[in-house]
Amino acid sequence: MNKVLFKANLKNNWLILLFITGMMLMYTTIAIGMFSPESAESLEGMLKMLPEAMIKGFGFEGIGTELTAYLGSYLYGFIYLTFPIIYIVVVSQNVIVKHVDSGSMAYLLTTPNTRKSIALTQSSFLVSTLFLILLINVMTGILMSITMFPGHLQIGPYIALNIATFGTLYLIASFDFFLSCFFNDSKKMLSIGASIPILFIALKMLSALGEELAFLKYFTLFSLLDVNRILGSGSFTVTISAITLLFGTGIFYGSIVLFDKKSLNI
Amino acid sequence: MIEIKNLSQIYPSGKGIFNLNFTVEKGEVFGYLGPNGAGKTTTIRNILGFSNATEGQVTIQNQDAREHAAALQKIIGYLPGEIAFFDNMTGIEFLTFVGQMRNLKDLQKRDALIERFQLDASGKIKKMSKGMKQKVAIVAAFMHDPEVLILDEPTSGLDPLMQNIFLDLILEEKKAGKTIIMSSHIFDEVQKVCDRAGIIKEGQLVAIEAVNELKAMKTETFILTTSDPEDFKRISESGLKVQKKYNKLYVEKTLDYPKFFEILSKCHVTSIETKQQSLEEIFMKYYGEVK
Repeated sequence: MNKVLFKANLKNNWLILLFITGMMLMYTTIAIGMFSPESAESLEGMLKMLPEAMIKGFGFEGIGTELTAYLGSYLYGFIYLTFPIIYIVVVSQNVIVKHVDSGSMAYLLTTPNTRKSIALTQSSFLVSTLFLILLINVMTGILMSITMFPGHLQIGPYIALNIATFGTLYLIASFDFFLSCFFNDSKKMLSIGASIPILFIALKMLSALGEELAFLKYFTLFSLLDVNRILGSGSFTVTISAITLLFGTGIFYGSIVLFDKKSLNI
Repeated sequence: MIEIKNLSQIYPSGKGIFNLNFTVEKGEVFGYLGPNGAGKTTTIRNILGFSNATEGQVTIQNQDAREHAAALQKIIGYLPGEIAFFDNMTGIEFLTFVGQMRNLKDLQKRDALIERFQLDASGKIKKMSKGMKQKVAIVAAFMHDPEVLILDEPTSGLDPLMQNIFLDLILEEKKAGKTIIMSSHIFDEVQKVCDRAGIIKEGQLVAIEAVNELKAMKTETFILTTSDPEDFKRISESGLKVQKKYNKLYVEKTLDYPKFFEILSKCHVTSIETKQQSLEEIFMKYYGEVK
C-alpha cells in the first residue's frame, strides 16, 4: 500500500465519488421520506395502477408496509446496483488501464515501488471507496429511519442486506479490476467492463417479468441479491457474502499477479 | 554498468528488436540513434524493466532489469519520449507527487533545476506547451540525482537556448560520473556530449562507434549560390562532387580547404552556407559504402 498514490487517486476521482454518493443519498432520502406506515398501503394501491411488468422489472414487487422490506424492494433492485456499477467501471479504468494506455504508468513504475504494491494500492482504493459510498448511505438510512420512524427499521436485516449488496458489488469490482489489468486499451476495458454488469441488471429485470422469463435468473449474478431471502434468513446472507468475498478476493489477487507479470508497452 | 545481452523482443506483428548486444560503462554517455520505429523505445522499455523480453536480458549493476525493476529505480532517472503525466495536476504538484513516490527528502536539486530551466511549474500540466512539459519531465528525471539516466529524445520541444542549457547539464552529470543513455536525431547534440553512439535499424544494431571517429567521417556539404551559370560546369570539372537543386549548388568538400577555395575563387559565388548532416546520414553513408 502506498499512501501517496492513494491520495493522488482521491484527487483524480473525487468528482465521481461525490456524484455517485450524492445520487444514492438523494434516492435513499427520498425513499425514506416517502415512507409512512399509514400511507404505505395506499402506495401499494398506487403501484397497482402501474403496469405489472414495470413494477416487477424494477423490483417494486411486494413493497411492504414494513420499512425494511419497503427499502429493500425500492432501492436494492436497481438504484443500489446501477450507481455503484457506474462508479466501479469508471474507477477501475482510471486506476490501472488508463495509466497504461496514456503512458503515465511509466511514471509510477520508474519510482522504487513494486508493481504488486502499485496494483494493491489501486485495488484497495477501488474497494475502500466503494465501501465508503455504501457506508455513508447505510448510516444515513439508519439515522433517518430511526429519527423519522422510530422502531420501524429492522436494523439487523437492513445491515445484512447491505453486506450482501457490498459482497456482490465487490465481485463485480474484482472483475472490472481484472479487465483493467488485462487490457492495454482503455476502450476495450470499458466496453466489456460496462456491458457485462449492465447485462446482468437487464437479465435480473427481465427474469422478474414472468414465469416464461424466470429461467434468465440463472444467467445473472444479481440473482444472489434476493431481497426477501436476505431479509428472512441470516444464514443466506452469510453464505452469499462469503462466496462473493472469497471469489472477489481471489480475482483481485489474480489481477495483481497478472499485472506484476505482464509485459508493458509504455 | 548497463549490459544488454542477446536481447530480443518480438511483437506479434513480427517487428521488434533482435539479438542486441552492447554495454554502457560507468561514466559514459551513450548516444542511441535510429529512425522512428527502429526499436529504440523497445530497447529502453527493457532497460527500465517494463517489458518481458522474448530472449536475453538487460542487467544494471549486474542485476536483472526486469526482476529487480523496483529496486533499480532508486538509481535510475527516466525521461520518456512520449510524455504522459497525471493531467489534472499542476507542474509542481506532479513533481511533488513523483518526489514523494520516490521518498525524496532533499529538494535542492529539484529547485535548482526549476530555476535553471526557468520552469514555471505553477500551471496545470494539461495546459502547458510542449516545451514546458519537456522541462517538467527533465526535472522529474534528474531531481533525485540518479546514477543512471535513460533519456529518450530529451531535447525535443526545447528552444535552442534551453537545448544548450540541457547539454551543459548532461556534461556536468557526465563529469560527476553518471551513466547516460540518450536517443537523439541531431548530430551536433550527440557530437557535443556522447562518447559512443550506436545505431539501430529495423530492430538490428547496425553499428557502434566512438563519436570522435564519426566526426572524421562527416563529409561537409556547402550550399552555394552563384551568378554565373557556367560555374556548375567549372566546379564539376575540377573534381568536386556537385549537384544542382533549385538554382543552388550542393558541393561536397572532398578536397582540402586551400584547394577547395582555390576552385571557388574562380567562380562567382554570391552566398555560401553549410548543410547540416544528421548522424544517421553519416552512419548510413558509411555503412552503405562498406556494404
